[in-house]
Amino acid sequence: MSQVIRALFISRKDIESYYGKPPLITWGLLFPAVLMIAVYVKSPGTYLITAPGIIAMTLLFGNTSMAAIVITFEKRSGTLQRLLLAPVTHRTIILGKAASAAAYGIATSLVLTFGLILLLDMPVARPLVLAIGMCLGGATFSLLGITAAAMVREVFEAMTLMNFFRFPILFVSGVFMPVETLPAWVTPLAMVSPLTYVVELLRFGVFGKCYFGAPLIPALAAAAFLVVSWFVAGVAFRRGANR
Amino acid sequence: MSVFEGSPIIKVSGLTRRYGDLTALNRASFSVGRGELFGYLGPNGAGKTTTINILCGLLDRHAGEATICGIDVERDPVAVKQRIGLAPEESNLYPELSCRRNLEYLGELYGLSRTARRAKAGELLGLFDLAEKEETPFRALSRGMKRRVTVAAALVHSPEVVFLDEPTAGLDVPSAQGLRALIRDINQAGTTIFLTTHNLVEAQALCDRVLILVKGKVVAEGTTKEIQKRVEKARTLSVEFSGDVAAGLLRSACSAIQSTSCVQGVWHLKVCDTHTALTQVVSFAERENLHILEVSTTAASLEEAFLTILEDAPSSSRGDGV
Repeated sequence: MSQVIRALFISRKDIESYYGKPPLITWGLLFPAVLMIAVYVKSPGTYLITAPGIIAMTLLFGNTSMAAIVITFEKRSGTLQRLLLAPVTHRTIILGKAASAAAYGIATSLVLTFGLILLLDMPVARPLVLAIGMCLGGATFSLLGITAAAMVREVFEAMTLMNFFRFPILFVSGVFMPVETLPAWVTPLAMVSPLTYVVELLRFGVFGKCYFGAPLIPALAAAAFLVVSWFVAGVAFRRGANR
Repeated sequence: MSVFEGSPIIKVSGLTRRYGDLTALNRASFSVGRGELFGYLGPNGAGKTTTINILCGLLDRHAGEATICGIDVERDPVAVKQRIGLAPEESNLYPELSCRRNLEYLGELYGLSRTARRAKAGELLGLFDLAEKEETPFRALSRGMKRRVTVAAALVHSPEVVFLDEPTAGLDVPSAQGLRALIRDINQAGTTIFLTTHNLVEAQALCDRVLILVKGKVVAEGTTKEIQKRVEKARTLSVEFSGDVAAGLLRSACSAIQSTSCVQGVWHLKVCDTHTALTQVVSFAERENLHILEVSTTAASLEEAFLTILEDAPSSSRGDGV
């Protein structure tokens, strides 16, 4: 049986054990929904500018947090050791864990997106680009969560480590202000943030236009970040597993 | 040498693992025959779990070779893991999943078809007397039941070698006896068992061969009889004299006596050489005009042999407890 099928079994088990639980779904939706309502109440005419950014933020926080929580929880309970004893490669485990975390993040983002469409008339100009953005973002952020969790032992350590990059990139990646309106000195920082490309893909999906003009550039850049995250997660996981 | 024929199923040569300045495993070498029930003994901190973790692909080695079924554990860990099962001391199953779901999930990871994993889970739940608890979440089971499910989980894929790390630790007497009987049955069905335990009575009752590890070094290896024979001279001599004897007088007269104790008039003398001690005791009795009413010797148990070997091991190789 191929390692990919075993990765799917790992994903299915994680969804059954963790991601499918109502409290987690609520947790993933509550914060971005409240934030979106706050932005809408403050400025009903311009809330749409931040909508793609808040969807991307949902992916960033939901995926990194959940992937990290699941891995650190399993480390502490010993069940990660059970997985490491099975005839699966480290890559298979990473794929399984990242796929379930990504599915969770994409599902919560989709619920938020449908809520915005139905309740606040958010347009969706290019649904395919929107879907690609969600998938690339979900996968990359899940892998970053796995990387952080592999490097530490406790959940709070993983959160602290991730917050060092999650909060700063929120302000340089066009989440609250489009990249074109950011100060000139921030633009180079925006270009090295994976979140920027996810936000721009989602923006193209919603409005049919983005900072880069065509969606190809952010799609390629987001894909490049995904590949880098995959390799970094592999190295971190191996070091953490066989210490 | 293993009493089991054919090439060894586990072969370890010069295995070394360090944690910073501490050498947890120091050029350990041994082999385990196919179908053997092998006891891996040692005090706390001897390197037993380190060895198991290396053999199961959970830890990298720093030097040496380790093969299972002829496959190097580090070069092809996936192939090795398909052939082995581990029941660790601390249960590592999914607390929120039922017993059956735990076993079926592991069947998925080991590549069993849906029919095969359902059948195997049912078979193991029956064998381990857990059929009534199949839908109970793992976390809701008693300690004894958790141990049984953990051992069952190591057998889901019918492995050739099973590592059991302290399988009966913390169990009450009936649960421990039941689990020991199951271990014996699993071994008799052809599965090689690598057992670590602090319970030397258990090791003596179950194991074909044992190895004693102290501070990462192999200090003794053989059948339990061979290990006991190694310390054969160190026996307990029980003597009953016709009159009262002063312990100090007895010890000063008999240099072969290491320690004495007297229970209800019978002297239990720990001796380093039975023949010399007996000669000295007889001479002492004649000199003191005493008759020897009864005399008997007791062979060293595996536990006594283990303690003697630990005492004889150089201080650099001694652990911090039994």
